[in-house]
Amino acid sequence: MWCISNPAQSRYVVRMFVAALLCVVFSSLAAVGFKFWHLTGVVAWVVAAVSALPIVGALIWTGAYLNEEKDEFQRNLFIQAILGGIAMTLATTTIWSYLEDFVHAPHLRLVWIYPMFWIFVLVAFPFVWLRYRS
Amino acid sequence: MKNRLRVLRAEREWSQADLAKQLEVSRQSVNAIETGKFDPSLPLAFRLARLFGMRIEEIFQDES
Repeated sequence: MWCISNPAQSRYVVRMFVAALLCVVFSSLAAVGFKFWHLTGVVAWVVAAVSALPIVGALIWTGAYLNEEKDEFQRNLFIQAILGGIAMTLATTTIWSYLEDFVHAPHLRLVWIYPMFWIFVLVAFPFVWLRYRS
Repeated sequence: MKNRLRVLRAEREWSQADLAKQLEVSRQSVNAIETGKFDPSLPLAFRLARLFGMRIEEIFQDES
């Protein structure tokens, strides 16, 4: 199974941890801001958008990791797992949108798509790994 | 793609980990290449060839 085996992977794990931490902090601050100061107008839009910046950062850092990873086999595994995650996320959200339209399934908030993507990447990883086991 | 990596490595009494260290890749990478499940890029194939003092086509055989 995938484990940290070089400096690029160590940096990636640290960066993703920081992004997750910032995501919690920014989201909490935004929630407090909207609850107590009843933000409106441009400020509300900016605060709401800024809350999502750590997630954008995490995506950029994922790209940076793929660029920094010198072990092409490890990079290949990760790319395949990401493609698997993207495929499963697209399939799930598309099917769910049809369910919402035609059988009034509960609404899936867009904010759940990002964590759903990473869960699917984790699901895909063992299957990718198994392809290369001797 | 077939290759003679396992034989060449065994001749030098290197473990997969030894070879991986010299190539600066993971042991899993060496294993995947040896078993023909992963084809290395040209730069990595050249590094392998240099390490064994051979030409690329002496290590890798095209199956087509």
